[in-house]
Amino acid sequence: METVTTKIQKKAFQSFSIGRVWTLATNTVTQLLRMKILWFLVAFSVLVVAAGFAFPAMSPEQQLKLLKDVSFGALQVFSVVIAISATALLLPRDLEDRTLYTILSKPVPRYEYLIGKLLGVLLLIGGGLLFMDVIFSGVVWLKQSIIISDNIAAYEREQSATPEIIAAVRTQIEHYGLNNSLHAGVWAVFLKAAVISALALLVSCFASSTLFTIVITFAMTIIGHGEQLMRDWFFHKHLSSFWEKAASSFIAVLCPDLGAFDLVEPAIRGDLIGFGALMSVTGLAALYITGYTTAAYLFFVEKEL
Amino acid sequence: MSRYLRGLLVLLLLGLLKLPIEERVVADLRSQRLLPTPLDLNLRENISQMGFAASLGGLRSLVASITYLQAYVAFEDVDWAKVDSLFAITTRLQPLEPSYWDEAAWHQSYNAASYYLRDPDLKKIMKDKIYRDQVQRGIDILNEGLRYLPDNPRLLVRLGDVHKERLADHRMAGAYYLEAAKHGAKDYYERFGAYEFVKTNDPVLMRKAYEILKRAYNANKKSYDTERLRSTLMRDLPMLEERLQIPADQRIKPARPTANAPAKGAPSGR
Repeated sequence: METVTTKIQKKAFQSFSIGRVWTLATNTVTQLLRMKILWFLVAFSVLVVAAGFAFPAMSPEQQLKLLKDVSFGALQVFSVVIAISATALLLPRDLEDRTLYTILSKPVPRYEYLIGKLLGVLLLIGGGLLFMDVIFSGVVWLKQSIIISDNIAAYEREQSATPEIIAAVRTQIEHYGLNNSLHAGVWAVFLKAAVISALALLVSCFASSTLFTIVITFAMTIIGHGEQLMRDWFFHKHLSSFWEKAASSFIAVLCPDLGAFDLVEPAIRGDLIGFGALMSVTGLAALYITGYTTAAYLFFVEKEL
Repeated sequence: MSRYLRGLLVLLLLGLLKLPIEERVVADLRSQRLLPTPLDLNLRENISQMGFAASLGGLRSLVASITYLQAYVAFEDVDWAKVDSLFAITTRLQPLEPSYWDEAAWHQSYNAASYYLRDPDLKKIMKDKIYRDQVQRGIDILNEGLRYLPDNPRLLVRLGDVHKERLADHRMAGAYYLEAAKHGAKDYYERFGAYEFVKTNDPVLMRKAYEILKRAYNANKKSYDTERLRSTLMRDLPMLEERLQIPADQRIKPARPTANAPAKGAPSGR
C-alpha cells in the first residue's frame, strides 16, 4: 500500500507534465473566449467578403492583390492585437480572480503555468488564423474563378480565345490567386504573433500594470519591424557617436527581428515560398520563444504574488 | 546571483546569439527575393505618420494598396503629377511587385503622354517636349524597376512596347522583346522582336530577324494557327530574303493552296 502511495506521489510531482500544461492551455483558451474575442472573426469574414467583391474596375491581378492585401492586413492586426492584449491580460486577470493562487498552491511549477498560458494564447491565435485562412482561401478561389471565366468570355466575344491566350490568362490570374504561398504567408503571420506573445509574457512578468505591458510590447513590436535597420548599423558601423552605437546595439540585442516574418508580401505576389525558407523562419521563431519564455520564468519566479 | 540578473543574462545571451542568425536568415530570404530591403526612411516625408507607422508595423503591402488606390483616383482626376508621386511611393513600398512598376510606367508613357499631346491649350513645340518627357519618365520607372527585379519579363516587354509604340525606336524595342523572351516571356515575343528588327534596315539586325522568323516558319508549319502565323511571316520573310540575298534554294516556297480549297479559276464541279 505504501509503495502505491509513493508511486502516486512521485507521479504527481513530475517535474514537467504535458497533461498539466495542456489543462492550463485549454483553460486559458476558455478564459479568452469568454472575453468575446471571436467577434473579430465575424468582422474579418464580413471584411474579406466585402473586399472580395469591391474594386471591380481594377485589372484582374490588382483585384486579387487588393483582396489579399486587405485580408492579410486584417489577419496581422487580429494576431498582433490578440497576442499583445490577451497575453498582457492573463497574469493580472489570474491575480485579480485569485485563480493564480489556486493553481500555484497545487504542485504546478511556475514554468508550467507560464508555458500553459502561452500555449493557450497560441492555440487561440492558431485556431483563429486557421478559420480565417479557410474563409480567405474560399473567397480568393471564388474571386479567381469569376475573373478567369469573365476574361475567357471576353476573349470569346472578340473571337480571339485561342488555347494559347486562354492558357496565358489562366497562368497570369492563378499566379495572383489561391496557391500554397497563401498558407505559407498565414503560417508566417502565426509565427510572428507567437513571438510577440512570448515577448508580452516576458514583459508582463516584471510589469507593474497591464497598460505598461501593452504599451511596451506594442512599442517593441514596432521597433522589431525596424530591427533590420538597427542591426545594419550594429554590424556595419554607420554610426559615429558612441551613444548612437550603444543605443542601436541595445535595441538590436533586445528586440526580435519581426521583419524576418514578413513573408506576407511574396504570398500576396504569388511567389513560391520554399520549405527551406519556412523552416528558417520557424527555427528563428522557436529561438525567440524559447529565450523569452526562459527569461520570463526567471523573472516570474522572483515575482511577489 | 538573483534570478532577475539571470533573466537579464539570458536576454543578453539570446540577443548576442540571435544577431548573426537573424543576419543570415534575412540575407538568405532576401537572396530568394522573399523579403524586401528595409524601408527607406525618407518615405516619412511622403506618406503620413500613420502610414509610415503601419508600414513599419508589417503592413507595407496594405499601405501600398492604399497609395495605389489614391493613385487610381488621381488618374481618374487626370492629375498626372499626383499619379506619378503616389506610384513612386507605392513602388518604393513594394519594389518587388512588378505590376506596380508596369502600371506606373504605363500611366506616364501612355496616358499622361497622350493627354498632353492632345491638350489644345499647349503649343506644338511644348506638346512634343512634354510628350517626350512623359515617355522618358515611363522608361525611367521601368529601368528603376529592373534594378529591383533584374530581367523581369513583364518589365522588359513593357519597355519593348514603349519603344515600339511611343518612340518608334525599333532597334531598342526589338532588343527588349528578345531579352524578355530569353527571360521567361511568352515565345511569341521572340517573333515580335524580329518584326521590330525588320523595320530597322540594319543588315546585322535583319539577319538576326531572318534567322528567328525562318525558325518560327519551319517550327509552326503544322501548328493550329499555321495560317495566321504564315500570313504574318509571309509579310516579312520574302522581303528579308530579297534584301539579304538569300540563295534561291534556301528561300521559302510560295504558299500552296490546301487540298480542300479549289484552285483559283478552277471549275466548281457543278
